[in-house]
Amino acid sequence: MNRAFLANLVRLAITLAVIGTVILAVLLPFALPHDHPGTVIAAFLLGPLSSLRHLGNVAEYATPIAFTGLAATVVFRSGLFNLGIESGVFLGGLAATTAALLLPSFGPFTPLVAIVFGAVVGSISCIIPGELRLRWEAPEMVTSLVLNFAILYAGVFFLNYYLRDPAAGSLMSYRIPADAKLDRLLAGTRLNSGAIVALVACLAGGVWLYFTRSGLNLRIVGQGPVFASHLGLSSRRIVMQAQIVGGMIAGMAGAIQVLGLYPRFSWTQLPGLGWTGIIIAILARENPFYVVPAALFLGYLQVGGDFLARDIGIPSEVVGLITAAIMLAVTATAIFQHPAVLRLIRRIRRVEAAR
Amino acid sequence: MTDRRDDGERAAGPAPVVAFDHISKTYANGTIALRDVSFSIPARTIHAICGENGAGKSTLMKILFGLEGPTSGQVLLDGQPVSTATRDFAGRHGIGMVHQHFSLIPTLSVTENIILGHEPKKGVLIDRAAARAKVEALSQRYGLAVDPDAITGRLPVAAQQKVEILKALSRDTRVLILDEPTAVLSPPEINELFNRLRDLRDHGITILFISHKLNEVRSLAESVTVLRAGQVAGAARLADVPDNMIMQMVMGRPVEITRREPRQVTGEPLLVMSGVSLASRDPADRLRDIDLVIHPGEIVGVAGVDGSGQRGLVSLVTGAARPGAGSIRFDGEDMAAASTARWRARGMAHLPSDRFTQGGVPALTLIENAIAGTDGDRRFQRGPFLRGGAISDAVAGMVEDYSVRALSIGERLDSLSGGNVQKLIAARELATKPRFLIADQPTRGIDVAAAAFIHKRIMGVAERGAAVLLVTADLDELLRLSDRVVVMFGGQITAALANEAHLTPERLGPFMLGLEGMP
Repeated sequence: MNRAFLANLVRLAITLAVIGTVILAVLLPFALPHDHPGTVIAAFLLGPLSSLRHLGNVAEYATPIAFTGLAATVVFRSGLFNLGIESGVFLGGLAATTAALLLPSFGPFTPLVAIVFGAVVGSISCIIPGELRLRWEAPEMVTSLVLNFAILYAGVFFLNYYLRDPAAGSLMSYRIPADAKLDRLLAGTRLNSGAIVALVACLAGGVWLYFTRSGLNLRIVGQGPVFASHLGLSSRRIVMQAQIVGGMIAGMAGAIQVLGLYPRFSWTQLPGLGWTGIIIAILARENPFYVVPAALFLGYLQVGGDFLARDIGIPSEVVGLITAAIMLAVTATAIFQHPAVLRLIRRIRRVEAAR
Repeated sequence: MTDRRDDGERAAGPAPVVAFDHISKTYANGTIALRDVSFSIPARTIHAICGENGAGKSTLMKILFGLEGPTSGQVLLDGQPVSTATRDFAGRHGIGMVHQHFSLIPTLSVTENIILGHEPKKGVLIDRAAARAKVEALSQRYGLAVDPDAITGRLPVAAQQKVEILKALSRDTRVLILDEPTAVLSPPEINELFNRLRDLRDHGITILFISHKLNEVRSLAESVTVLRAGQVAGAARLADVPDNMIMQMVMGRPVEITRREPRQVTGEPLLVMSGVSLASRDPADRLRDIDLVIHPGEIVGVAGVDGSGQRGLVSLVTGAARPGAGSIRFDGEDMAAASTARWRARGMAHLPSDRFTQGGVPALTLIENAIAGTDGDRRFQRGPFLRGGAISDAVAGMVEDYSVRALSIGERLDSLSGGNVQKLIAARELATKPRFLIADQPTRGIDVAAAAFIHKRIMGVAERGAAVLLVTADLDELLRLSDRVVVMFGGQITAALANEAHLTPERLGPFMLGLEGMP
């Protein structure tokens, strides 16, 4: 326990050092022409922490991507690189809007019904590529990528013909009724009760993967498919179960995003939250417990970027640049599997063992 | 040693085309693959290199082909020392190699595969006409007929091998290495290949033929060098030595074997396979007309060189494959179509040959690997939740009981040495109190102490009344543990023998090498 913990600290320290270096390296060219380069970096790094409201903004950004990060984690853990979570978010948002608009009110349970509906419909986006893979060995990465756009256009069609408010200026749905909306948690932000659900979902996901039999079997099937078949595990069922759960979480992400933040459903493009979820899953090393800090970290970068844009006039797109550079760095096996790092970790373990 | 080499040189006239001079190779992980290997190959001959798996044949050929350098010693070509591990060494010196697993790109045409790496150019473009002409000329010159425009992956295996040979010959080759070339071929195709190889020799090409099939070596080669445990165990002209002498060189000096107490088995057999055949893409997995019976308490050993059908046999009794014909009964029940889960439910346990892909998950902890597959076990589970404390205690007990050396049970499986991984897998599989144990190469590559430990546990399982199927390439292990021995060759059982004192590796050799017992 102790040894593993210390060894993990080494990796964490390296990760933080890598991230810090990347942020500085990307930010410096923008900061240096400025009169006070220090203020630029301070605004980016400290701005998000400067008030409760800004912390609330961080959590608000983190909410949907914690869901999609969890969805990506569950799906990837089954050994499938299923990208259907992207359209799962879209579909979940659309389905939740549909439920809120077309179903009668269920009083305080209205949001719950809409979210469950969104989750169930959203899971289709992951189930189809999964089934194609299991039944016909169609590469899920390709089918899910293509399916994302098929679902988007089918969804836009549905929005246009069934939900569109002709009185609105552009293509968007009728107003989502007030009783379907999620409660706001913090004045001045759009932080809503969905954040609590996201936190609980990630913890539950961690408990599932690491403390239950079915979570263990999922990890065995994903990381050792040959071993799983030698054990006689029903790999097909286990893989499909992960696609269903992952897709439902993606659908929930979309549902909660729409019901929590927007007055109407107005997505006519893929929202991109699924892609960010993949980044989160990789940052979190496909561990649901780490999804929450990883999502908060990306939220923190995003709010920092807003500061740059608002106070200093540096385009907030620089955040995308930083995120991309961080992804390149933290997925670089050359750094984390470097012989020197591995030697250091081994030495720590041995010293601990000697005690 | 020195005398023998002098003889060889005199017989061949000029300096031998290839000579190995005190070659040793130690890998970075400490494995000693070759120790002080010296021998030479006269020009224009077919020379066989024999030895068991892991004897060092492949390493030696990698050194000659320039894929690796020796740790010490040198290679001489035409009497001149050369440094082999240099860029394009083989191409520059006219050494071609036909790999056991083809190095062809299936989607490219035959011509493209053959010229790959040394394409004739017209400016920056490939001169396709010249390339095609070159391939046709090669094909005609050596009598290896292939269609230069065919897509390689769509050709039958024997034709692909011709392409591989042509590729190896395409650069003014004078030394051709063939690594187990017959493994993928049927008997008529083997004859055809041998005729072509003899033609190549008559064209002036020196051929090194790596094989562990003695009948093939004898029908093709003129001389043979035997490697055992990384050393030269002997060298001879085939005309001068009888089979059993070569076999003794391959297998080594007979060692005193302490056999298991012979046991009287009574009662109904537990596993009955009769007339079982198996179709498979890989010819090494195919089975024909297998009859096999194992009683409770009995250890039946399966001998045979790798790829004689053992993998197919194991896949049938673990539920990984279904027989094409014949019946498989376990405890009276028809199990021909049984899944792995059903085999396990009936009490099958399996020590697989590939520990890290079939036996466990390297990236999971010892704990997780040790309790994998115990679904529904009340000791480890409360409802869907794993009982962390109880599991830790149980796994700590298993680790202690099987003396698995690990820093902690929370470590990843791949932090253990091979022997300790195998002990942990044995602990997991035997914890199920199996009625039927399949031990597939249970001690391959692990240290002596761990191997002895595993042996004791396997015998313990049999003493408690389980039927044991032991598949092993280690004849010492086979004779130590088995009550009965069956020998497989070419997907068939070629001998079934009681393990009595007069059964020795020498006695098994001819069956394993396909010299005796073929119907």
